[in-house]
Parts: sequence; C-alpha cells; structure tokens
Amino acid sequence: MTDFEAYRASAREFLESVAGEFGKDARRGLDVEQDLALGRRYMATKYDAGFGGISWPKEYGGQGLTHTHKLIFDTEEAKYGMPVVYFGISLGMPVPILMHYGQDKDFVKERIVKALRGEEIWCQLFSEPSGGSDLAGLRTRAEVDGNGWRLNGQKLWTSWAQYCDYGVIVARTDPTAQKHKGLTYYWVDMKAPGVEVRPVKLAAGDSHVNEVFFDDVRLEDSQRMSPVGGGFAVAMHTLMIERYIATDSAGFGPPLDVFVELAKTTDYNGRPAISDGRIRSQIARNHAMRAGLESITARAMLMMQAGMEAGPEGSLNKLVAVRSRQKLSELAMDLKGQSGFAYSEHNSPREDWTNSWISAPTGRIAGGADEMLLNTIAERILGLPQDHRPDKGVPFNQIPA
Amino acid sequence: MSILYDEGQQAIATESRRVLEARTSKDRLLKLLTTTGEVDKPFWDTAVEQGWTGLAIPEEHGGLGLSLAELGLVAQQAGAVIAGAPYLTVGYGASQALVASGVAEAQAAWLPKLAAGEAIGTVAFAEGTAPLPANPKVTFADGKLSGTKPGVTAGITADVAVVLASHQGKPALVLADLAGVTRNAIDSYDNTRLYADLVFDGTPATLLVEGEAASTLALDLLARMAVVTAHEQTGAAEALLFTARDYALTRKAFGQPIGAFQSVKHRIAELYGFVEIARANCIHAVASEGKDNFLLAAADARISATDAYDTAARDTVQIHGGIGATWEGGLHLHMRRARSLAVEQGNLMFWEDLLVDHLGEAA
Repeated sequence: MTDFEAYRASAREFLESVAGEFGKDARRGLDVEQDLALGRRYMATKYDAGFGGISWPKEYGGQGLTHTHKLIFDTEEAKYGMPVVYFGISLGMPVPILMHYGQDKDFVKERIVKALRGEEIWCQLFSEPSGGSDLAGLRTRAEVDGNGWRLNGQKLWTSWAQYCDYGVIVARTDPTAQKHKGLTYYWVDMKAPGVEVRPVKLAAGDSHVNEVFFDDVRLEDSQRMSPVGGGFAVAMHTLMIERYIATDSAGFGPPLDVFVELAKTTDYNGRPAISDGRIRSQIARNHAMRAGLESITARAMLMMQAGMEAGPEGSLNKLVAVRSRQKLSELAMDLKGQSGFAYSEHNSPREDWTNSWISAPTGRIAGGADEMLLNTIAERILGLPQDHRPDKGVPFNQIPA
Repeated sequence: MSILYDEGQQAIATESRRVLEARTSKDRLLKLLTTTGEVDKPFWDTAVEQGWTGLAIPEEHGGLGLSLAELGLVAQQAGAVIAGAPYLTVGYGASQALVASGVAEAQAAWLPKLAAGEAIGTVAFAEGTAPLPANPKVTFADGKLSGTKPGVTAGITADVAVVLASHQGKPALVLADLAGVTRNAIDSYDNTRLYADLVFDGTPATLLVEGEAASTLALDLLARMAVVTAHEQTGAAEALLFTARDYALTRKAFGQPIGAFQSVKHRIAELYGFVEIARANCIHAVASEGKDNFLLAAADARISATDAYDTAARDTVQIHGGIGATWEGGLHLHMRRARSLAVEQGNLMFWEDLLVDHLGEAA
C-alpha cells in the first residue's frame, strides 16, 4: 500500500467513525443555524483527529502534508455529506491568504487554528454591485485616515458573511490610477462598528449570500495585506490558490444513478421511461461527459502524486458539469410530470432534482461565470486575444460609469 | 496500463506525428475523393514501414506485442492528418479476432502477413442498420459463406475478412479469403475508406468461434475497434481545434482578429472541452481493457469522440466562413471523415443503447 492509499484508508476510518453524528442523515431536517452549529462541532472533531489544515505548515497548526493528501481527504469526505459548506470559502481562500500576507504572525496563527476548528469563519469581500466578473471595476474605497484607513462602500454576493468573524477585502485607494492599479487588499473585522450585513434571498429560497455595507469602518495599517495600489495581484493570488479542488462531475447536483433509478421506476407511455430513446440518449451523453471529467481528475491526481503539474483541462469541470446538471434536472422534472410539483427549499440539491434545478444558476455564475471560464480557456490555454476593453489604460475616475 | 502514458508511448505519439505531418498532402487527399478504390500510398507505406500494422499483434505471430494504448496513440495522429487509408482499425479487428480464436492454422496463415502489412485484413459484422446483427442473414454452412455484407470498410481491396455469420441458427465468426469474392465498390463521400458490398456466394471460409462465444467476441472486437476509432476522432478534432484557433488569430474583421469576438473565441473554447473530454475517455478506455467496465468505458469514449469530431468539423468550417465551404480549402475532408468514422464501428445510437442497457442492469 502506498503512502497515499494508507492515508485514504485512515481518512475513511475517521469519517466512518463520525458519519453517524455529523453526516447526511444527522443533518436532515436541521435549519441553517442548527446545521452550522453541527458543522462547527464537526470541524473541531476533525481538527482534534488530525485532519484539519492537512496541507498547511505545522507551525501554523496544520498537518504539514501535501495538497494531494488534502484532495484525498476532501474526496472521501464529500461522500458523507458532512456539514462543511460554511467553511469552504473561509479555509479555501481568505485564511491561506492571511497565512501568506498577514503581518502579525501570532495573530495569524491564532486565527488559523480558530478557523480550522470552526470557531471563526472568514469571508471574501470581492464582488460588488458594479463589478463581479469585472473585479477591478470595484468602487468600495479606502482612504487614508491618520495612521490607518477609513473604509466606505458596498460588497455583494458575499457567502456566509452573516456568520463571519473576519473577511478579506479589496478596496480602491487611488481613483486617479488605472483600474487595476488603484486597489489595495486588507483584512477586516466583520464585527467592527460600521459593518452591516444584509442577507440576500436567492431563487431557491435560501440566503447564504449577503450585501455588506461599510460606513466609515476604521482599518489599522497592520490590516493591510498588499502594497498600497498592489491589491489586484493579491486578489488574483487568492483566486488561484486552489486550482485543483475536490471536483464533482455531477456539478454538485444529484449523481447520474439517481436519474437512472428515476427513469427505471417512472412509467412513460406504458413503459419504463428508461426504454424511451430520448431519455436513453441523455443518460448516455451525461455518462460519457461525466466519465470524461472523472478521468481528467483521476489523471490530474496521479500527475500530482508523481510530482508533475496537472494539465489545464481541469478548468473544464465546473463549466461542463454545472450546466449539464441544469439540463438534466429539467429533464428529471419533465419525467416526473404532474407528480413532481412539490418543492421544499430544505431538500438537498445533491438529492432532489427540483432543488438542483433552481439552484443551478448560482453554480453557473459563482466562482467564475461560464462566459469568464470560456474566456480563460480561450485566452490562457489557446492563446486567443482578449476582448476589446475600452477601459484599458484609462484612469478609473475617467471610465464612463 | 496506467492512465498516464509512459515514455515509450509518448515517443510513439511524437514520432508518428512527426512522420505523418511530413508526408501528408491535402492536395493528394482532395484528388482521392474523386477516385474509387485508391488509397494515399505515402500514408500506407509509412504505416507499414513504421510497423503500425503489427503494433498490437503478439510477437510470436510476427507483431510488436504492444497494446491498444500504442495503437490508439498512432490512430490519434492518423486522425489529425485524415488517414489516407482505412486499414489500421479494421486490420487490428481482424488480427485480434484471429488471436482470440486460437485457430492455429489460420493464425499461421494470416497473422505474420497482417503484421508485416503484406496482407490487408478487415471485419464484416454489420447488416442493414445493425452494427452487430443478432441473427445475421449471411450464413455459414459446410465450410462456405453465402450472402451480402454491405458497406464493408476496406472492402474493395482487403485480402481477408472476419465475418459475422449464422451457423446452424447460431452466430459465428468465420475467416474468409476474399480472393474470389465479388466486391461491389461504392462511390462514396469518403472514397479512401474503400467501402464495398461483399457478395459471398459459396465462398470457402474457416470457422473461428461459434455460439455465445462468437457474440461475446464480436462485441469485444467492435468495442476495441471503436476505441481505436475514438482515438482517431479525437486526434482529428484536436487538429481542427488548432486549425480554428490559428485562423481566428490571423483572420481580421472589423479591425481586429476574429478570435477576439466572443462568439468565435467561445466556440473554440467549447471545442477544447469536447476534445479534452474525449481524450480523457480514450485514455480511460485503454486503461480499462480486459476489465469488467471495458464496454462501458469504450462506449463513453466512442460517444464523446464522435460528438467531438462532428462538432469540431461543423464549427471549424463555420469559423472559416466562405473559405471553409470551398473544395480547395479542404475542410470538407474532415466533414466527410467525421461522418464516415461516426458510422463505422457502430453509430451513436448503438453505443448509447449499449451504455444505457449496462447502466439499467447495474442500477
């Protein structure tokens, strides 16, 4: 057994031992607050068992193992439906960035351990009403205030902000510079005076994203995590941290065998729907697509285990998987017909086709809209030109709003 | 094999690409479209000289004893240059049928010649709209074959064919020397595939396998040929992806390269997705050879590769605008090949059905 296989076995053993207390079945019927509380207890249990911060340095409370170990654990963990969704962004981007750029090491270490144990949660305050895909179009401003800064403006789509203790934020410090060059990166205390969080209810009925308003919020200069005007580079670093995260060829919707089961047990025209050519074709196409994505992921894992860099084709996963999940969910609803009108926002999009359908648009927009992912493939992988950008080289305050 | 290619396999891919790119001519391929019964000689000479005919034939029968992986990599390069002859895939099918049959006399008579490229082998399974008929109308009795196999790849020139026939009411795979067989050549949209109806009229043939074992072997052979073809389709789709990309970088309209328009660049980025998913499925299928999930993996590879090549042909022509639709431009060579390969070795509907039947039983 290789080191990685042994690690997978020990991960499974741990997960199996706590699945009853924290897994899918334990979570059924809980409201968000109860589920979050369960999640915090799970994170502490996981940390105490030695599976927190798997690939982070030991000096910061991590386990000092490789990214591959972390991917192995995450892949196994995903099978149990543990309540980890609240901590994904926190531990995925803001906290690693804090580890990298934070100025006060003792403060940083304390935050990391609390974040790993689920005691504190961090959010990422990037998108705004005027800039999501166009991040550098943001308008929240930080102005010099004595030996620190004063923050004013509004962020949008901030996941889990209502439960967060801290956040990382990009703000404009020089409106007379070109748009990418006038930005600076900070961390911010979400409980500080002047910070107001308002949940935004999404189409599915849940409210995991928020508007966050900053009204004269005081920032110390020690909260700055980039050179003044150098915030865009740190923001890019934040988004690049986890190029290969644990992926899901089902696009975070139901697995294909759930659809096959539905097609077998649903009568259409007096026969099981799985004998209908239209249904068969969609099953087969989805299977081929998902098998391809899984093979890409498996190959990437092997390459990383062998110390090689994985290929850029890993960037296809979210693009391809989520939009096909959207269509397959529609087809599942068609199949159910009049018997499928019932809806509860508490069902899981990984188990219920209607929840999968109504939350799919979020998946196609969050973390890079389909169109931005296609641009990235076209420009970074294939070397095609950037779009025409009329705002290029223009001082930010002269770009027509 | 692993799903990572080893150094030897990577070398085969690089070398076959190099030699094929140097010896392929679009003009020759265009000319061949208007002739029936001819192949691109430089392509086939290269294949024989490089030993590709014997790649997957065991060493004791005169081959190189390599696997589906190596043949797939060569097929990928052949697809990229629009292979000038159809022999590699069907020759592989014929020789693998012989290897699996264990019929020593037939093996000794044909395998060394097939390995050396001195004889051309093909496979004749399909009848009507069925890639793999359950009760073939072609019959085998008293050592003789009767009936017609339609649209056999390489049928115009092949020396020997493995034929799926009915034998005493059960399926059988038999080997027929085609020397005296009537071949009705088909003037096709893709003439270098050498399609012909083979008319057997008391043709002497050798029984290889019969009954349940024949059906199982025929499906396995079809799946393995489909995996080779999937590699060929993937290589072709990738070549088209780069052709589209290069054109979009150089062709200008409205004062900028057309590749700067999202309608064009996104179309090309989508092709990248089709190609990489097909490639990943090809690698997975090769790595699954001999395992329980091989048929499923072969179906995945075949479906995604057919989709990739069809889409790449369609979209690359569209991205080229008017020039893409001309005879001279030659992109129709890919359009034609995308369709001929989509139909050979079982069409999409066949593989979709096979895949869903498997899932339906498993779930």
